[in-house]
Amino acid sequence: MGNVIVVSQRPSDAGELVGLARSIGDPVIVAFQDSAERVEELLSYGYKVYRVKSSRPEVLAKAISTLYNELKPKLIVGPNTRNVKDAMAWVAGLHDIHMAPDVAGVRVEPDGIVYKRGFLSERVTMTVKAPYPAIILVNPRVAEPAPREGVGELIELNVGDTMVRVLEVKAKELSGVNLEAAEVIVGVGRGFKAKEDLSMAFELAKLLGGQVGGTRPIAADLKWLPEDAWIGISGKRVAPKLYIAIGISGAPQHMSGVSGSKVIVAVNKDKSAPIFKQADYGVVADLYKFIPALIDVLKRRRGST
Amino acid sequence: MGNIVVLVKASLNPEIVRQNPDGTFDIDYTPLKISDVDRNALEEAARLRQVFGGKVYSVTVLTWGPLRAREKDLRLAVQEALAKVADEAFVVADESIIPGDYTVTANVIAAVIKKMGLNPSLILAGEASIDESTYQIPGRVAAKLGLPYVGYVKRIREVRGDRLVVERDLEDYIEVLEVPLPAVLSVTQEVNEPRPPTLIQIRMASRKPIHMLTLKDLGLDVKRQRSILDMRVVTVSRKQVLIEEASMEKAALKLVEYLEKEGVLRF
Repeated sequence: MGNVIVVSQRPSDAGELVGLARSIGDPVIVAFQDSAERVEELLSYGYKVYRVKSSRPEVLAKAISTLYNELKPKLIVGPNTRNVKDAMAWVAGLHDIHMAPDVAGVRVEPDGIVYKRGFLSERVTMTVKAPYPAIILVNPRVAEPAPREGVGELIELNVGDTMVRVLEVKAKELSGVNLEAAEVIVGVGRGFKAKEDLSMAFELAKLLGGQVGGTRPIAADLKWLPEDAWIGISGKRVAPKLYIAIGISGAPQHMSGVSGSKVIVAVNKDKSAPIFKQADYGVVADLYKFIPALIDVLKRRRGST
Repeated sequence: MGNIVVLVKASLNPEIVRQNPDGTFDIDYTPLKISDVDRNALEEAARLRQVFGGKVYSVTVLTWGPLRAREKDLRLAVQEALAKVADEAFVVADESIIPGDYTVTANVIAAVIKKMGLNPSLILAGEASIDESTYQIPGRVAAKLGLPYVGYVKRIREVRGDRLVVERDLEDYIEVLEVPLPAVLSVTQEVNEPRPPTLIQIRMASRKPIHMLTLKDLGLDVKRQRSILDMRVVTVSRKQVLIEEASMEKAALKLVEYLEKEGVLRF
């Protein structure tokens, strides 16, 4: 069967990854960051857990590289977080093995792994076959979670110094919104002229029982929203029942993050904006005039029922 | 201090995705363009070149064919690097590495840097390409060259002797790091605001050398790992109903009606 290394950053990502690993070979788990602190949760899957007491990519990379030489795994699986992607790129380079992040489906064949992933801001789906050993970072819900019915063994994994030195660690400003679970999301883009104007979007979201997210310029560059409200290929991928895109032009990097939405509404004053071709309902209007009108109509409807 | 190498990719353009009649992706007729975030890497090289005092080289590996049809797009991408900051460009175009393979691309880049004697103190790259977005080439190149690697750099704060102080934007937190040179850094779009090259820079670029290389020139033998079995265009079948009303209230009422029919509004 062969060994499969499962990399876990948070206990919540481990179940599905262990489930996938079990269908391919014999799992061993590498735990770091939150998973390293809540290691007992991971031990209940019944496999060896190697704990790395740092969440820095270079430390994780060295630890996994050491294990790689020792265990000669068939596959390494992990979540699509920045820390893991960064560490795995280095491991893949060092050992000259294939690596694919953002994998949306996996099939095991005797002589290699077949996987699907989005390509070109997910406007194309690519199916690839790669030989073992390989590194596959999978999206949530690709595999069934493994049962927690065992007693694993904990092994501490220490690696030496790295060439990079940490001077300071700063927390990110996060809102804690869980956009992935939201049923309604109001998305805001550069059509908004000032941060204060986002209050309209928040009022609309509140009326609809939803959350507010935004494009890269709004969340990452202007920082009008916390970074965890950033929707797009490098931010969150969301799948609400209703996505209302306000003042968003429809760049593929953003739209790939909302492609799973059931209904997409676009509000934009530019009739030629590409978003209208990617929306179910498009309102050609100045958001500053239309959103207050929509809020009014919704309030009246709510009042009358 | 030394030379700077910037990795520049001519990527398939995600805004112009072409499709064959059978729904498969028509790679041959989808144009290439410079990866957006590579512009941030070039801008950062322009900002740092005074301090480093050496030459700036760009390295590009062509990963999408057909080779003969890519000349123009490839030249446009490379000329942008030359106009912006690079003194010389190195381009590897070879049938045997098309379509690209991550392991092969990283090995080819490392070979160009070593065999062409580029001797960099710093290698800069964008965090990911706009076509494959796998975030892995810079890290792989660092591993191949045995250099320290820092990805997701959102700010290069200062050059402190033979070290850089940078901010790395990780999943849940930001780190301030001291990195010994030479090193490989991948930058995010937040690192700077790239300015397009000026007309004078564009004119000057045509006089700068572009070194076209094949695997033979590099004495390299490669083994591709992945086989691409299928590439299919994702068809979005959105309804595309347009609401154009002079009265905002009418428009809002219409939208609410549609959304109620869809069953996505609850009162």
